[in-house]
Amino acid sequence: MADHEATAHHHEHHPEDPQAQATRRAILQAAIGVSAGAAVLSTLWVGAGLVPREEKIPSKEPVAAGDILVFATGPKAEQEITLDDLRAAQGEKIPFIIAFPKSPENVVKKDLITNTLMVILADPAKMSPETKQYASPEGVLAYSAVCKHLGCTVSQWQNDTWLCPCHGGKYDIYNQAKVVGGPVPAPVPQLPIKVEGGKVVVAGEFLGKPGADV
Amino acid sequence: MYQWLDDRLSIGKLYAKAFRKAFPVHHSFFLGEITLFSFITLVLTGIFLTLNYEPSIRPVSGSLSGGQEVPAAYYSILYIDSLPFGAVLRSLHHWAAHIMIAAAFLHMLRIHLTGAYKNPRELNWIVGVFLLVLSIITAFTGYALPFDNYALTATKIGYEIGAAAPWVGKLLSDILFAGELSPTNAQTIPRLFPIHVLWLPLALIGLIGAHLTIMIKQKHTQPKYAEKVAPGKIVGVPLFPQQAAMMGILFLVYIAVTTFIAGAFLAHPVQAFGPPTANTPPVKPDWYFMWIYGILQIIPANWRFEFLGATFGPQFWGGILVPTIIILGALAIPFLDYAKNKQRYLELPSQHPFRTSFVIGMLMFYIMSTLAGYKVDLSLSNGLLWVLVFIVPVITGVVSYIIMKAVYGKDWNQEVEVKLIGKGSAADD
Ligand code: FES
Repeated sequence: MADHEATAHHHEHHPEDPQAQATRRAILQAAIGVSAGAAVLSTLWVGAGLVPREEKIPSKEPVAAGDILVFATGPKAEQEITLDDLRAAQGEKIPFIIAFPKSPENVVKKDLITNTLMVILADPAKMSPETKQYASPEGVLAYSAVCKHLGCTVSQWQNDTWLCPCHGGKYDIYNQAKVVGGPVPAPVPQLPIKVEGGKVVVAGEFLGKPGADV
Repeated sequence: MYQWLDDRLSIGKLYAKAFRKAFPVHHSFFLGEITLFSFITLVLTGIFLTLNYEPSIRPVSGSLSGGQEVPAAYYSILYIDSLPFGAVLRSLHHWAAHIMIAAAFLHMLRIHLTGAYKNPRELNWIVGVFLLVLSIITAFTGYALPFDNYALTATKIGYEIGAAAPWVGKLLSDILFAGELSPTNAQTIPRLFPIHVLWLPLALIGLIGAHLTIMIKQKHTQPKYAEKVAPGKIVGVPLFPQQAAMMGILFLVYIAVTTFIAGAFLAHPVQAFGPPTANTPPVKPDWYFMWIYGILQIIPANWRFEFLGATFGPQFWGGILVPTIIILGALAIPFLDYAKNKQRYLELPSQHPFRTSFVIGMLMFYIMSTLAGYKVDLSLSNGLLWVLVFIVPVITGVVSYIIMKAVYGKDWNQEVEVKLIGKGSAADD
């Protein structure tokens, strides 16, 4: 009731025709709409500051031909992997080594997750022809170690298959990391390898896209 | 003194209005309070933790790490653990988070089973659903803070699931974690830290405030017996002093029990996991994520297609779509099952066999998909798990419906009769 009176009062002081009122309402609505839109846009604009900046640093460069593989973990971290290391690993529970590439300028490229690699000395006789083609004659093989499923490091070994501990993804290393179990959508890419002077050297690009497939 | 305060704050009025608020007496009504106590415990222990935590991964070394260079965040956890009761308080923070989520879940179950979400309480149900989801998100953002190998690997899975959302996923994950989650990303911890200790807790406090205000305004639903004892009246004990005393005692019991748990089962031994390395350990999520983890394991890897530049793959189906459907379903419940008139009394689960068996079926789904999380450990086959996760809950629901109808069917017709007679005689008076 009080509201009604107030409105009536208002009308007495500012007599206006309905036409003008409608126009004014339209203008007000447009103004509100525009400013709300502008507010949302500017918030998004400010929010863009939350998107992290990509830093270009040498330790974040992707693996490239000519890189030397080094230990990624353990007491020998960042030391170059030799054929002897791989031979020693052969009999172990985990017969492969998790590695990072090191550029010819001696920068270990450890800040790019997709540079996490697995390297193993395997029996060339067991390998499929395509696999063998990108392995060294001695049988040194390398793959991206980042699981295609959700990006864990594939770090276990069970009954001659390479196993991801997170959700049980299994890869056949003798056959271009073909998926033989688990929820993994695709094989991890192989990395061409050669051995030079006892060191493990990258011979080319990944044969596919490394990293989780999401 | 009292007079002075009363003049300014009109305590008398407040006392009459707020402090006399009636609390129904039933032990299941304490679940909400336990959730609140957990939150309070989390804030208090959280304050202690923030004061000793360094949100950075700059390399530091010291006696605690045996001279080894480790990320500062990791080192500060070693430091906290070395303080008197430090490890217990950190453990208490961990367990209180688990208890909060469990208690909130059970609280919600109680509301669901008794139909307490019906008119006029739909809004508070919605606030409650958001509270539960937000609590889980808050817990998740705390995972990575100790910055040990286990924590980082577990968080990484969350990162990839988030990134699986079509179109915006990668962007959102990158915003939350400040870029790709990796042992060497120096921006991640400085970003997660304020989100975990400031912004999400603030949001939680706001929602809890709204939840309680609405509850006080709308009053508790009354237990069923109240209808017989004093129809149309509010039955219960007043907030002050009776309920307050009970709450105080319950809080002390809560603190005693959780502190005992925290001391007896020290949570998350960072020292055993070590700082993050390129080699990730096998991880399992916490129990409240286990069902998602299970579903992720049973969705075939080849269920994927591209659409307008976005990939819809297993991570999306299991990690995003299923939880979203369940959350939306939970939000829709008070609108699918509503009451025309305002609901004052709780309903007996036995009198609502459909709803009750639906809840039992959903619980079965939760249990079975959690079981699927142990697929590798128990070497269960995918076919079996599909049956367990998607068929067993339906069967359970149907069977419990039939049983409930058979067992309670008669009784409840009788009760309806009794009620009608009761009403009739009341009208005669
Ligand atoms: S991340 Fe490897 S199986 Fe899931």
